[in-house]
Amino acid sequence: MAKRAITINVNGTEHPVRVDTRDRLIDVLRDELNLKSVKEGCSTGDCGICAVLVDGKLVNSCLMLAAQCDGRRVTTLEGLLEDPNMKRIQSSFIANNAAQCGFCTPAMLVASWDLARHSTEPSNEEIKVAISGILCRCTGYYQIIDSIREGCEGRQR
Amino acid sequence: MLSRQKVLMSSFELYSPTDLNDALRFMEQEERKAAVIASGTDLLPRMRRRQISPSVLLDISSFTEDLRYVKQTEGTIRLGALTTVADLLESPMFHGKLSIIREAATLFGAPQVRNVATVGGNICSAASSEDLIPVFMALGASLRLVSARGERTVALKDFIVGKRQTAMKPSEILVEISFTPPDGHSWTAYEKLGRRNMLILAMVNEALSLTLEDDLQTVHSARVALNRVSGKIPALAVKTSEFLEGKKVTDQNIAKAEKILASELSLTSDFRGSGEYRTEVAKVYLRRLVERCALQIRGTS
Repeated sequence: MAKRAITINVNGTEHPVRVDTRDRLIDVLRDELNLKSVKEGCSTGDCGICAVLVDGKLVNSCLMLAAQCDGRRVTTLEGLLEDPNMKRIQSSFIANNAAQCGFCTPAMLVASWDLARHSTEPSNEEIKVAISGILCRCTGYYQIIDSIREGCEGRQR
Repeated sequence: MLSRQKVLMSSFELYSPTDLNDALRFMEQEERKAAVIASGTDLLPRMRRRQISPSVLLDISSFTEDLRYVKQTEGTIRLGALTTVADLLESPMFHGKLSIIREAATLFGAPQVRNVATVGGNICSAASSEDLIPVFMALGASLRLVSARGERTVALKDFIVGKRQTAMKPSEILVEISFTPPDGHSWTAYEKLGRRNMLILAMVNEALSLTLEDDLQTVHSARVALNRVSGKIPALAVKTSEFLEGKKVTDQNIAKAEKILASELSLTSDFRGSGEYRTEVAKVYLRRLVERCALQIRGTS
């Protein structure tokens, strides 16, 4: 069994972990670091439910080997909870009933937060592109799109 | 702890080279057919499905300083193999005549995939649904392959030799994609059909690079490229391209070119769509691409 020692900065804390070369980033986040906001859906990069930020870029954590994340900076929803932009987006999701079963919600929130960093007044089209890689099987998306648009208003850089 | 997800992949050694020379030495020595992994967005799902089970992976993802760039030198555009699809969208270079690259990158996967998926990886995957292969074929792109023994340049059209098969030797690594931007009265365009706009593998995709003579009517040169020409291989539609050259852009000539295109395709049926449907779409796309390019050339000349 091929093993390797790596260090990943997750939500601002350095975590030395020993991984199997087969471990994907999602395996380390969920199983080693107990960050359960990261969900596993399709495991093939289609559903986007496992989305996190790596070095500030939105990625699917099921499509990335943990060993390739050695020395990199990973941010999950747990690391953004105290951020004022995230608080605003979260409140907007609640106000608009944008979470039904809730399974896609963490990924939607992280993607929305990422969008809000670049855009104060995103158009519906921009929002649709930003969440195009994340599937929601409950809401029909409109509540989510409304939440993101309202949540991005007045965001802080 | 081995979760359900992990046991699906067979065990492998992961080699993380210190630099490109180290990587090439490793590939030369090992002769054990290490698979090269960049972002892994294509490789990992295939490994989990056990479509491939390499015993060794060579991780080149850390070579971004050397292999992630978009630049123009002496009239040639050069893309490092680790340039991401998001990098293509952010580059100021792919507007106007080269907007084909922007068009294809916009329709490529999801934002999370575009952020990491590499140009080199897309080409080396050599699948029949890759977005960038027909685009770079229409642009007449070449690939720079290096090994510990030296380097060679191969035309992309000669590089893809079959479904998931390339002309690359086990000791080689793709480092650069280059092409000369079309000159004169020219334009490029791309069409892709999937069942949704986003996040979809192409049922049909087709790229065209078109140059007109000074009369802005006659085709000087044309390069039509599609996925799944002659079965499942992305390739140039050579007969169609040759037919168009020297012809005026008229309804009748486009209709003739459509027939020739249909005859040189052998589009197969699968769960994404039937061969007959794909052929009809490919014909419609040819017309759209020729008309779009001609219109743009006349508008900008």
